[in-house]
Amino acid sequence: MVLVLALGDLHIPHRAPDLPPKFKSMLVPGKIQHIICTGNLCIKEVHDYLRTVCPDLHITQGEYDEETRYPETKTLTIGQFKLGICHGHQVIPWGDLDSLAMLQRKLDVDILVTGHTHQFKAYKHEAGVVINPGSATGAHSSITYDVNPSFVLMDIDGLRVVVYVYELIDGEVKVDKIDFKKTTATAPSAH
Amino acid sequence: MLRGKLKLPEKARRAFPDRLGSIVAGFNEKDEENRGLNHGFELGEELETFQPNGFGLDRELDDYKVEDEKSDGELGFRAPQKPDRDGADSVSFSDVFAADEKRSDLEYEFSQKEINLEKLQRVASSGLPDGGGLRATAWKVIISSSFAHLQLLLGYLPASRDLWEKELIENQSKYAKLKEELLLSPSQFSKREDEPLRSNKQYAGSDADGQLARHDVSTDDHPLCLGQASVWHQYFQFTEILEQIDRDLLRTHPDMKFFSSNSSLSRKNREAMRNILLLFAKLNPVIRYVQGMNEVLAPLYYVFSTDADEKNAANAEADSFACFVRLLSDSVDHFCEQLDNSSVGIHSTLSRLLGLLKANDEELWRHLELTNKVNPQFYAFRWITLLLTQEFDLHSILRIWDCLLSNPFGVQEMLLRVCCAMLLCVKTNLLSGDFVDNLKLLQHYPKINIEHLLQVAQDISPDTSSFCLSP
Repeated sequence: MVLVLALGDLHIPHRAPDLPPKFKSMLVPGKIQHIICTGNLCIKEVHDYLRTVCPDLHITQGEYDEETRYPETKTLTIGQFKLGICHGHQVIPWGDLDSLAMLQRKLDVDILVTGHTHQFKAYKHEAGVVINPGSATGAHSSITYDVNPSFVLMDIDGLRVVVYVYELIDGEVKVDKIDFKKTTATAPSAH
Repeated sequence: MLRGKLKLPEKARRAFPDRLGSIVAGFNEKDEENRGLNHGFELGEELETFQPNGFGLDRELDDYKVEDEKSDGELGFRAPQKPDRDGADSVSFSDVFAADEKRSDLEYEFSQKEINLEKLQRVASSGLPDGGGLRATAWKVIISSSFAHLQLLLGYLPASRDLWEKELIENQSKYAKLKEELLLSPSQFSKREDEPLRSNKQYAGSDADGQLARHDVSTDDHPLCLGQASVWHQYFQFTEILEQIDRDLLRTHPDMKFFSSNSSLSRKNREAMRNILLLFAKLNPVIRYVQGMNEVLAPLYYVFSTDADEKNAANAEADSFACFVRLLSDSVDHFCEQLDNSSVGIHSTLSRLLGLLKANDEELWRHLELTNKVNPQFYAFRWITLLLTQEFDLHSILRIWDCLLSNPFGVQEMLLRVCCAMLLCVKTNLLSGDFVDNLKLLQHYPKINIEHLLQVAQDISPDTSSFCLSP
């Protein structure tokens, strides 16, 4: 039972001052085992804050990040699942599911986590699942209107993943749950 | 008064040669600490008495009448490395015969329909035989029926075989159910909850491509839920306790492969003990888990899982849980901080211990209480709450627990007697030391002959002063 937090596109301090307080009160250290961040934090202070929530942090480079040494894409294996991370501004057209599917096949992962569109999406296609956690601060985006702050928490348990989507709508935290299973087990590979 | 009682038992005398030999080989650091002032004096003594020929020693011992009491305590210092197999030191024909007789006695008792609890306890007080699962069965019977005895407040209850067998089976099923309820991880819990949902409506996104279906669980449970009723929240609250339990389990009896090796069997044992302790913590939110409970559980689990009977050994976890709960129920009040100063709390028990000491040896009592002000809280707290598991090695603990369980008046009463006996047995060392020496000695209790200790404990006269208080 591994809890993985996926979030991104915070754009602190340029477009948002901080995470919404209701989100901050929920993100208590000690519960989460891994954090996956799609990028655009943008400053080091946010990086440090995320490290206090969980020491195992994976970030990819967003176009506004002030730290330039994050990788463009990253893959990791958690339990039976292979996860891939990419900010998404590199994939054109932005947010296009077919192009993202190409990226997913290229990275050869079961779950691809991308961002940039600031809109939550969870989509399944034959190569796997694409999850976009949206923007954790609800920062302004040129391609999406009415952005609600959102992030994603995945509970990986064997061949099953339960995805909990946390959204802040009208000042209230709404939680949705998505379930999916993988059919075949991943062969053990060098991590 | 005590001089006569503290005569060296036969076995110890014959064992002396080995123990003295280790002295010449080199002192243990601990001995030097403990001796303190008497260092020079004792050195001279030992070197003189050392003789290659064992027979000479017996005569020498008689000369050192003054040393009689002291040597009792010395016994422990002599051979700290020697395994405490006191019972097996000198295996004479009569010993073997007695052990066999005991074994067949017990087997006969267990085969009866009505088990004579009194007889069982009498046999237990002189030590139960190792191996063969007799100890395991005896403990189970005594613990389960003594609990019933306390509960029903009757005179002693003859233990009927059918009754206690039935109870064991009931316990095992109760335990399995408890495990299922309380030890499930939240993911498994939610998986179980989803099963009926899944079968009822076809998950839209499960096989077809496209947007994955979302289900609102804002009001239900989710991992970051902070509500008290949340399964997840409760799970995270216990992770800290779990970490503590895991750490303590790794430290349990590090010298025994049964508990601390990396083999799968040992891991299985630790997992079983972990389940038991976690379950206990969940069922007792007041005291939760206290460091040391793993030590109390260890002998129980060890005895039950090394039972020769395969079926019994397989149920060791459930049986240990039941017996652990019962054993701790006696002393559970000691763990609760709010009850510390009440009449059932730890302070009252400690003062009972002192009362017992005063009634049996006023000189020692005065020395500890008034001269050195060695508060019983500093040493006896651990003795009493953990049932002496931290003071001796496993083999001695098993023997002592045989004795504790054999007391028809209950474990606590016998425990106080054994604690008092422990104080009496190191009396000379205590009398000759100051506060620091006394404390060091009592907090790292030296190894002594267990049979002798228990004999002293049996002989202790009860403290009658407290009886005057009750109407």
